[in-house]
Amino acid sequence: MKENIWGRMLNLDRRWIFLFIGVVCIVPFFVPFGLPVIPTRHVISIFDYIEELGPENAIFVSFDFDPGTDPENMPMAVAITRHAFARHIPVFFTANGPLAQGMLESGFAYITNPLSEGYFHVVSWSEWASYREMGITDRSELEAAWEADGHVLPDNAAGWVFEGRDFAKLGYLPYFSLVILGMTSSIAAQYPEDMNGNPLVEMPMLQEHKNLREVDLATTFSGTAACTWWITFGREKIGLPVAFGVTAVSATDYTIFIQSGQIVGQMGGLRGAAEYEVLLQQRGYFDKPDRAFVGMDVQNAAHLLILFFIVLGNIAYFAGGFHKKGVLLKGRR
Amino acid sequence: MKRTVPLMIVLVGGVLMMIQYFIPHRISQSVFDSYTTWIPIIGAFALILGVGSLTRLHGHKVRHRAPNWPYSLAVILSIYLMPVFALLLPVSVGGGMNSPSVFDFAFMHILVPIQSTMFSLLAFYIASAAFRAFRAKSLLATVLLLTAVVVMIGQVPIGELLGSWFPKLGLWIIDFPNNAAKRAIGLGVGFGILATQLKIIFGVERNWLGGVGD
Repeated sequence: MKENIWGRMLNLDRRWIFLFIGVVCIVPFFVPFGLPVIPTRHVISIFDYIEELGPENAIFVSFDFDPGTDPENMPMAVAITRHAFARHIPVFFTANGPLAQGMLESGFAYITNPLSEGYFHVVSWSEWASYREMGITDRSELEAAWEADGHVLPDNAAGWVFEGRDFAKLGYLPYFSLVILGMTSSIAAQYPEDMNGNPLVEMPMLQEHKNLREVDLATTFSGTAACTWWITFGREKIGLPVAFGVTAVSATDYTIFIQSGQIVGQMGGLRGAAEYEVLLQQRGYFDKPDRAFVGMDVQNAAHLLILFFIVLGNIAYFAGGFHKKGVLLKGRR
Repeated sequence: MKRTVPLMIVLVGGVLMMIQYFIPHRISQSVFDSYTTWIPIIGAFALILGVGSLTRLHGHKVRHRAPNWPYSLAVILSIYLMPVFALLLPVSVGGGMNSPSVFDFAFMHILVPIQSTMFSLLAFYIASAAFRAFRAKSLLATVLLLTAVVVMIGQVPIGELLGSWFPKLGLWIIDFPNNAAKRAIGLGVGFGILATQLKIIFGVERNWLGGVGD
């Protein structure tokens, strides 16, 4: 039996669909639309919470994802870290798996890469040892003393970050849910050393924040249910404020925690990260948004194309009368 | 003996940890601390067991040239070479800060692209599946279809151009109907987990023993 146009449309070779998706994912990188991204309250609440913090506080940034969800989770983690660094809020970096530790390294390298605009210049633990010996550990005094000694911040840098004062890379430990539980009593008991082998107990930021009870926020970036560990073992046990950054497909799973007041807010997918980048720009932290904002153009185009295919499929289905026939066409590839 | 001892360990450990959680006392805390120290140690032995089992399985396939044996060889090489790279070549082969170590190179330029590619394929299959399967065949299917369209478009900036109500409606769907359904499912799953855990702790459910003592 010869197929009509509707039948041929329904039997469209899926390789054409793949080709169209491929094209709309690539083109926006060369021809950006730059459509405005308007922040939602789920993201604004995280931003505003961090705005209230300063050098006397501390947060956790947990890279709880693997390379599969890197395009969505990484920009969120980067945005939060840049915000914290800009406000001199000490950051403990953790990871819930061996691959996640690689993501941590990758994200940190991106934020501190001297070749990029608005990077944070790292002063390693050993580089400022002499200042510690002189008893200079206060954030503002340390930066003043460091610059007084002739250290000049490069033009393209957004600021200094002192290892042990502004950040500590704790990394991954097995059975991470238990590690969170353990950190409610003592961070140093779980992590005697950081990823670079520096003694944690000697770090000023740890001396001021010995366990999760003394930490002001834990942010977790995850493509799995691992983010809920922070609620179960952090929020519910000791009242640790928690914020989520999750992939778009799992975002709807965790909005219940916003409604119940168990999390401060949530960044959902690339959109959530782009919203945070826009907030950072709007509040004057950085001149322009970062990678997530650029990626939103791709999402725009891809979502529109998928919508187009859904409409097309339904038109063909009804116009061809297939809803009456109740049979599927054969020979579909 | 083979059955009773594991059951007793699970019973004592399970009950102790349940009670410990609700007792904010120093002794209770030290019990908990020693437990959390022990678990990774036991896990390390499980890792040895896992690597040994994986090596035996894939080694057998390679030796006997079983179908697709080159994949097994890739598994064995990867599982042993990556720790070797990490332990024996921790610094860059080429030297210099910007030149990554072999381990970093393998991680960033092999593993990361492989995983990212696998996840990215979803976009292609979702588009194809949406075209093939998203039909307004019935009232419920139509509701599902319209909901998906509103949430999908509400998630991207183009939705705001179509109308400010678009993203608001999408967010409302996520915040209310979605949350109601998720909460119901979550409660069901939670009670199921609780029941299963109690059955394991009190020895009613014994499948985890692997048939020992039957």
